[in-house]
Amino acid sequence: MAFGDYPAEYNPSVHGPYDPARYYGKADTPLAQVKLSELGAWIGRRNKGPQAIAGAISRAYWRWQHKYVQPKKAGIAPFLHVVFGGMGLFYIMNYGKLSHHKNYKYH
Amino acid sequence: MLSRAAALSSQSTKTLVALARATATSAANNAAASSPDTSIVRPVRQEPGKVRHGFIPEEWFQAFYNKTGVTGPYTFLFTLSTYLVSKEVYILEHEYYSGLSLAIMWIAGIKILGPKLANVLDKQVDNIEKEWNEGRVQEKASLEGSIADEEKAQWSFEGQNFLIAAKRENVALQLEASYRERLALAYQAVKNRLDYQLEKANAERRISQRNLVEFVVARVKASITPDQEKQNINKCIADLALLAKA
Repeated sequence: MAFGDYPAEYNPSVHGPYDPARYYGKADTPLAQVKLSELGAWIGRRNKGPQAIAGAISRAYWRWQHKYVQPKKAGIAPFLHVVFGGMGLFYIMNYGKLSHHKNYKYH
Repeated sequence: MLSRAAALSSQSTKTLVALARATATSAANNAAASSPDTSIVRPVRQEPGKVRHGFIPEEWFQAFYNKTGVTGPYTFLFTLSTYLVSKEVYILEHEYYSGLSLAIMWIAGIKILGPKLANVLDKQVDNIEKEWNEGRVQEKASLEGSIADEEKAQWSFEGQNFLIAAKRENVALQLEASYRERLALAYQAVKNRLDYQLEKANAERRISQRNLVEFVVARVKASITPDQEKQNINKCIADLALLAKA
C-alpha cells in the first residue's frame, strides 16, 4: 500500500463507494464496551504502526467532517470547534511560557 | 381496414416483444445484482450533529445522564474549572481577559447576526440544490408528459377498435342488404318466368279451344243441307204463326 492508495481491506465490489470515515478492517470490540480486565488484551491487539495511527486520525477527521462540516445546513459548530480546539492546543503549546505569569506561589 | 387490422396484430406482437425484452433485461439485472450488491451500504449525507451552546456535542451531555442526571455535566464543568483556576493549571493572565472580551463580542455577534446569516445561507443552499435538481425535475416532468401522451394514444387506439367493429358491422349490413336485394331479384325473375309459362299455357289452351269450336261450328254448318234449312225455316214460320195465334 503506497501513498494515496485505498486501505488494503477495501474492496469496491463488496463495500461500495469509498467512505474515508469508515474502518474497512475486521471490527474489534468498541473501546466503550471493553471491560477493564480485557483492556490490556484490547490494547495489545491494536496496530500501533505510524500508518495505522495516521489512518485512525484521518478517519476521526472525516467522521467529524461528515457530522459537522459536510451536512447540507451545517451550523457554526465546526468553526467554534476549530476556535476552541486551537485555544486548547496553543495553551498547551505555550504552557511553559504562560506558567511564568502565575499569580500565586503556593496553592 | 386491412392495414388497420395488420397494425393491430403487429401492435400485439410488439407488446409481446417488449414483455420478453423487459423480462430478459430484468433477468440480466438480477444476474448482475448477485450477492454483493445487497450488502453494500451507500454512505448518505448526515444531518448536522446536535450541539449545545453552539459547539459542545450533545453526546457528551448524554454520557453523563445515566450516572449523574441532567445537572451532572454542568457540575463537572464547574468543579473542573474551579480546580484548574484555583491550582493555576489554567492561569488567569492578560490573554484570559482579552479572550473574555473577545468571547463576549463573539457571543453577541453570533446571537445578533447568526439567525439572519443562517437564513440567507440556507436560502442560497436551497437555491443551489434547486438549480442542480431543475434539469432532473424538468426531465421527469417531460417524461411523465410523454407517458401521459402515450397512454392517451393507446386509449385512442382502443377507440379505433370500436370504430373498426362499427365499420365491420356496417359492411355486414351492406352485404346482408345486397344479399336480400339479389334474393328478391332472383325470386322476381323466377316468378316472371313461371307467370310467363302459365300465361303461355293459358293462351295456348284458349286458342286451341277456339280453334276446336270454330272447327266444330264449321263442320256443323257444312253438314246442314239446303232441305234441312228450308224445313227449319218452315218450322220457324209455323212456330211464329202459333205464337201469333196465341
